[in-house]
Amino acid sequence: MKNRIRVLRAEREMTQEELAELVGVTRNTIMSLEKGKYYPSLKLAYRIADVFGVGIDNVFTYEREKDGPGMGEDE
Amino acid sequence: MKRITYLICILLTSALVAAMVGWSFAAGALLVPVIAVPLGVIVILACRQQVTTVISDERTSRIRSKAAIKTIEVLLILGVIGTAVFASYAYSAPLAPSVNGKIAINNDGTRSMTLTLTRGGLPGMPEEVVRSLTIQDIDSMNETEARAYGLFWEEGLRQYEESGIIARTLLCCLGASLVTFGIFYLYYTRKY
Repeated sequence: MKNRIRVLRAEREMTQEELAELVGVTRNTIMSLEKGKYYPSLKLAYRIADVFGVGIDNVFTYEREKDGPGMGEDE
Repeated sequence: MKRITYLICILLTSALVAAMVGWSFAAGALLVPVIAVPLGVIVILACRQQVTTVISDERTSRIRSKAAIKTIEVLLILGVIGTAVFASYAYSAPLAPSVNGKIAINNDGTRSMTLTLTRGGLPGMPEEVVRSLTIQDIDSMNETEARAYGLFWEEGLRQYEESGIIARTLLCCLGASLVTFGIFYLYYTRKY
């Protein structure tokens, strides 16, 4: 799973701390999301998309076959 | 208040409450825990309300869940191994210590008794004598001999008995863990 959180955040000149506060998570979670280490729940994914004012598919892209198990998925 | 300050508050409050409870038991002031424990809970809840940053989110919850599951798995495996080792040591008859007594008639007509504690070894190996005790006149045992007789039983079999106690304790812990796991499993199965 790929995401454009870093790009969308940069476009809006938003810090990780600000985004974390807006979606109600810690800054570490935003860092892990941007690095692709952590896959968010559907609820959090929608909240992030909502903050950026775009559709969820504009933030997260599922890549078939390429994905290994990351944290947030069942291994 | 930041999250780290909140965690320090929890740590300090818990330490203080634990110290007060410990002291109250030692001093016999049993009213102190009744007041101190709820007071500690109130202080922690009050601190929690002052926290402005996010205390825990879905990532930390998931990390904690994973860490807890792995911990339980490792503890269960270690518990099973420990129980097997101690139980095999405590309950296997060839390894169990045995006490043999021999009564002899002395020249003056009194009876003496020789007790020997031996520990069994591997098949074909001679038994190892752990300790031996001779009481010169068993019909008029003096205080020193009586104490030595008591110690002989107590210390001679202690290691064997302790292994049995450890094995039973580990078995109880494993059983309790599995029952708790089963209860929570049923609870969450019904919930979701």
